[in-house]
Amino acid sequence: MKALKIIIFVVIMGTVSSVLLVGMNSFTEPLISKNEELKLKSAVLDVLEIPYDKLTALNIFKDKVKILTTDKDKFFISGDGAAAFEFYGPGLWGPISGVASVNSDLSTIKTIKILHQEETPGLGSRISEHSFLKQFRGKEFSPKLIFMPEGKSSANNEVDAITGATGSSKALERLLNSVLQKNASLLKEQLNKK
Amino acid sequence: MSPKKTVKRSFKYTKWFKALTAGLWQDHPTFCMVLGICSMLAVTNRMNNAIAMGLGVTFCTVFSSLFISIFRNVIPSRVRMLAYMVIIATFVICVDRFLKAYFPPISEELGPYVGLIITNCILMGRAEAYAIKNGPLLSTLDGLGCGIGYTFMLMLMALVRETIGFGTLLGYRVMPGSWVNWVVMTIAPGAFFLLGVYLWIFRTIAKKTEA
Repeated sequence: MKALKIIIFVVIMGTVSSVLLVGMNSFTEPLISKNEELKLKSAVLDVLEIPYDKLTALNIFKDKVKILTTDKDKFFISGDGAAAFEFYGPGLWGPISGVASVNSDLSTIKTIKILHQEETPGLGSRISEHSFLKQFRGKEFSPKLIFMPEGKSSANNEVDAITGATGSSKALERLLNSVLQKNASLLKEQLNKK
Repeated sequence: MSPKKTVKRSFKYTKWFKALTAGLWQDHPTFCMVLGICSMLAVTNRMNNAIAMGLGVTFCTVFSSLFISIFRNVIPSRVRMLAYMVIIATFVICVDRFLKAYFPPISEELGPYVGLIITNCILMGRAEAYAIKNGPLLSTLDGLGCGIGYTFMLMLMALVRETIGFGTLLGYRVMPGSWVNWVVMTIAPGAFFLLGVYLWIFRTIAKKTEA
């Protein structure tokens, strides 16, 4: 009898809290997905260097950015032919994700933006800082982007690595090389098909 | 003078005042009970994170204490831990969804630590030590006191960590331009040092040294 009472109590409690949470979920779900959409779209506008503000981001995105979907990947193409895509992969301590854009020639970088990283604060975490990322502008990534020791980069496919963050620099180098080349060749295929 | 004094005295010794202030000073969750340290180290690197986290924890302690206290005679004692977990988890998930919907940047900065309020020992501790034995009003006040006490401590930590570690406060620059950020303050080891210093100061003031 006592056991039965306990079971009934647990079932009722579980049901009530589930109903509450389902209600809460259905109420906040549209807002949350809207926030995520806004975050992605404003990041894409950032790397395509289309000026926007928070209120008009979605409209500007709709006007100026064309979305090209293949079976797995999504490319965001702006009016001048530059293309942006998301990327993610392993860093030294945790995943790195971000958005990158390439110029219309599909062989040079336009902008790179890191959205999430878990590298060592103050050392590897500097991969997400503007002063590090701005050196990628206009760099050629085919056949290979090379991270040189700080201050030694000279050729058009070389950038400065971060001193004291060799692991993070290496990880980012590997990640960027693989995603840039893969996405650029995919993009070329898609554009030729049309 | 004398009537005023008696009023003040009686006010100070009422049950509800004691329940509210226990968590603020006498049984402070951080420097007396030393609970909730893990999330404290993780979220106090910036002031707005600390405030959001503090408000979230306060909301959860208040409402979980209230509901546990209301149902304290219905909850079978053999499954009371389970009941605490379900009630606490319900409110924590509400806070998490709310932050995700209305304050996405803060939710992103806090990351998993909002969900981890569920395992914050302050909530469990108040439920088992207080709410299961006392009425709804007193339990709510007790939860509120503990929540505010915890929030206050989070803010004290963030005040030092953000100014020294980032040179800003609530995102505004407060340190001179030549200030070199102490990166160690932005990560957990720096928070450990700071927490130790705070514990030392407060325990000395409150004379809570172990004999």
